[in-house]
Amino acid sequence: MIRIRHEGCILCAGCASVCPTGALELVGNKIEYYPEKCINCGACVKVCPAAVITLDKVGK
Amino acid sequence: MKTNYDAIIIGGGPAGATFARIAAAGGMDVLVIDKRKEIGVPVRCGEGLGMREIISQGLEMPKRCISTEIYGAKVVGPNGKEIVWKDKTTNGWVLERKMFDKWLCELAIDKGAQVKTYTRATDIIMKDGKPAGLKVTQWGERMQDVYAPLIVSAEGMEAQIARKAGFDVVHRLYDVDTCYQYEMKPYDHENLIELYFGNKMAPRGYVWIFPKADKRANVGIGIGGNLTNGDKNGMPGADPKTLMDQFIANHKQLKNSSTLVDFGGVISVGSPIGEFVKDNFMVIGTAAKQVDPIHGGGIATAMETGVMAADVALKAHKKKDFSKKMLFEYEAKWRPAMGKKMEKRLLLRKVMEKLNDDDLNHIFNCIGAKELDAVMSGKFAGPVAKVVAGRPELLKILSVLIS
Repeated sequence: MIRIRHEGCILCAGCASVCPTGALELVGNKIEYYPEKCINCGACVKVCPAAVITLDKVGK
Repeated sequence: MKTNYDAIIIGGGPAGATFARIAAAGGMDVLVIDKRKEIGVPVRCGEGLGMREIISQGLEMPKRCISTEIYGAKVVGPNGKEIVWKDKTTNGWVLERKMFDKWLCELAIDKGAQVKTYTRATDIIMKDGKPAGLKVTQWGERMQDVYAPLIVSAEGMEAQIARKAGFDVVHRLYDVDTCYQYEMKPYDHENLIELYFGNKMAPRGYVWIFPKADKRANVGIGIGGNLTNGDKNGMPGADPKTLMDQFIANHKQLKNSSTLVDFGGVISVGSPIGEFVKDNFMVIGTAAKQVDPIHGGGIATAMETGVMAADVALKAHKKKDFSKKMLFEYEAKWRPAMGKKMEKRLLLRKVMEKLNDDDLNHIFNCIGAKELDAVMSGKFAGPVAKVVAGRPELLKILSVLIS
């Protein structure tokens, strides 16, 4: 499970391009997150240039 | 929007717009859809472009798309040693990407293509196991089915529909750079693209300053996506913004400059995807990871590929055969031409990331503009010989370039 601080997001969709399962997508002016697809790999957190994504370490 | 076309192109960037222009000019009825509300916005780019591709496509760049002209490049090593490099291949522009992308779409419209903004493909419509159209939403709500025997993904980095079509478009962290850029003012420049190298300053990447009109400049950084130079919310990750801000704080001119734009992005610096075509489906441009692994530039390649792929699509259209076999001609042409060049650049990237700042300083001390030019055109032997003459231990790292 990740959290996105949307107000800091610059809408580059870098997270979506590295997400291996398609759990993130730029839709309109917002990054949509589909938690059911998320495998908690953290790729989006590592690559986000604006550092607005957090990975919850416990649970899914 | 009609419901039937000869081809639907997803993405109105340079690849999609160029494909649409050529295909429409050749008589195909094409639709370009772009999920953004405005073509070219938001800009996620350093905005540099060489002149070659525009000239070779017989286009005349309108003044409104050009921010400033570029006469060469200045490459700076970790120790501050500068190499200024001016030649035909470095002639180019720093663009106003917003205007540029719109212009390319307008050229396609002039040839008969239809372009629709705020129109997002959500899924592929399959018929007999093959793509036959797209489900799209317009303005965030209205759903519609649109049919065409050819779907072209020019989606850029995200490539969600190409992903759904089964192409291996997901980017691995090791093969992307994560970038942060400001548009800043004032910056006095010499119409040179400036690139700063150093592992501390920009690990596995570089800082760029691309001059723009009216004393503005795009000041950006790209670093390896797999790096862990920062703590991101309790998790190690690549943090380009912190390094960018450090660079600016240490820069004589920029430390007092204002920012006009803040943005970031992620760009492919790896290999192109393993296949570009399937039955009734083509992937072009950055969606196919057709991006230069050294500088992350993709506009010229996207445009060149757009023409190449559209020529093949026109042949397929005449024969009413959009099978993988028919469309494969695009891939068969691309790999020996552009693919080969890109492989060399990838090799260079992988060698460069093994060099420490001492090595880089040594290299900057013993090569000049001539050697830099050779390296950029894939001729490594001469420059490598010069470098290892003074530091034989580098041969171990550099030898792959000459084998």
